[in-house]
Amino acid sequence: MAIEVKNLNVYIKENHILKDVNILFPEKQITCIIGPSGCGKSTLLRTLNRLIDSTEHVRLEGQVLVDGVDVIGSGPEITELRRKIGLVSQRPCPLPMSIFDNVAYGCRINRMYRKHRQLIWNVQKQLQAVGLWEEVRGRVRTPASRLSIGQQQRLCLARSLAVEPEYILADEATSALDPISSKTVEDLFVSLKNDYTILMVTHTLRQALRIADNVVFMYMGEVVESGPADSVFHHPQAELTQKYLSGAFS
Amino acid sequence: MNSRILKDRTAHFVMLCMSLFAILLVLLMAAGLYLKSHPVLEAHSLWKLLFSSEWRPMKGEFGFLPFIMGTIWVTQVAIIFALPVSLLTALFLTEYAKPFVKRLVFPALDILAALPSVIYGVWGVLVIVPIISKRIAPHFMDFSSGYTVLAAGVVLGVMIVPLLVSLFIEVFSNVPMELRDASLALGATKWQTTRKVVLRKTFTGVVAATVLSVSRAMGETIAVLMVCGCVIGIPQGVLEACYPIPALIANNYGEMLSMPYYEAALMFAALILFAVVLIFNLLSRMVLYRIEKKEE
Repeated sequence: MAIEVKNLNVYIKENHILKDVNILFPEKQITCIIGPSGCGKSTLLRTLNRLIDSTEHVRLEGQVLVDGVDVIGSGPEITELRRKIGLVSQRPCPLPMSIFDNVAYGCRINRMYRKHRQLIWNVQKQLQAVGLWEEVRGRVRTPASRLSIGQQQRLCLARSLAVEPEYILADEATSALDPISSKTVEDLFVSLKNDYTILMVTHTLRQALRIADNVVFMYMGEVVESGPADSVFHHPQAELTQKYLSGAFS
Repeated sequence: MNSRILKDRTAHFVMLCMSLFAILLVLLMAAGLYLKSHPVLEAHSLWKLLFSSEWRPMKGEFGFLPFIMGTIWVTQVAIIFALPVSLLTALFLTEYAKPFVKRLVFPALDILAALPSVIYGVWGVLVIVPIISKRIAPHFMDFSSGYTVLAAGVVLGVMIVPLLVSLFIEVFSNVPMELRDASLALGATKWQTTRKVVLRKTFTGVVAATVLSVSRAMGETIAVLMVCGCVIGIPQGVLEACYPIPALIANNYGEMLSMPYYEAALMFAALILFAVVLIFNLLSRMVLYRIEKKEE
């Protein structure tokens, strides 16, 4: 139940965005991907769930093994792949519907439940899992856009969890939030790692330091260094990593 | 005073004047139409003018119901025909089409939108009218010239498709990519995303675009005039001739104006058209406002 990236190259038009990337994301741990802006972190995430397909003029080479199955090329059905890999994006993106319908959306499109009661139960369970239930229980039928940004982000997480994924991709999921909401969401991820394999792109080194089990440092589309958080942070091997961690560039 | 501040203020002032002028123009037009149609309004009750179908200018009887109904029928057929076509085309172009398809289709739409309406009229007379007369009408009646509500509606529908498509494309392009990604990332197909997220998000925009096109369609004259049959009477179905308001005005204004009240009656027809478009727009604004408020 891990994701393994082998010799992955991504080109958009003539630009070589990801260069020969090899990483193993271990199961039920938090792996933080760090690196300066434009180093290909987000592209890597978008390749894993194949959202990159909607980008024009994109070309993929190499292998991405999700549960041992290569998802590049024809591979398994893409909707099933995406169901298995939840996504929490940088800015919260509630769908234009009520709080309840947002969480129920994925269950409905994937036809997960026969009975409405099961659906209601699952929605409640997920809202509880992200600590939103107490805050919204009286108004789950009101539009999700009325929630605060921090609540919206937790709603998006609940929405992802509702389709029973095995992996969660978070693309700077806390960077648009205020410090308190940010902390809440961060703690949520930590609590979720017993059940999910979490891949997190982050800009804040402190955050990575706090929660990462493993760290991948990327620079200019290449993986410079990766491994257990402890060793990458405290005994970085590459000079580039040392410089980045010391704040020489960001 | 600093010269760039002076320029800024001048620009502000000039633009304000122009905007006021544009609004004033509309008011002037309404006032002018009202004044011109005043004689016929004095001679007949408003109720009778709007809801009588007796049209005998020689006897001084002016009942506009057939023309109003003609306008409504033609517009209705046009929108029923144009709406699904435009909606699906716009969705295809924004959500599904490859870039090179867009590069081919966009200029074609622009050309269609820029074609003079008389060309659509000729096309209607040469293609649509014969098809209706020879192929469609015989299934339902003994004889039809083909100059019918259906012909006018289809021609009008084809005319507003480019406008609707470009408005819809504008509306759909405003949906953030992240919203589509959010849906796709949950395992939705493209169609599910389009239907449940894009269309839902843009519902008010779609209605607003449709209203704009309907307003345009109501006033379209030449192409409709050429294929509608211009027979005075309330149409009972799409295979009957009709006589929409713009056609009435275009056909008769300038002729027989010596007849008492005739000019005033035609001006009143224009006022009706003006009022119908205005009321239709106001109503839809109100509905949209309600919906938006509910969803905020």
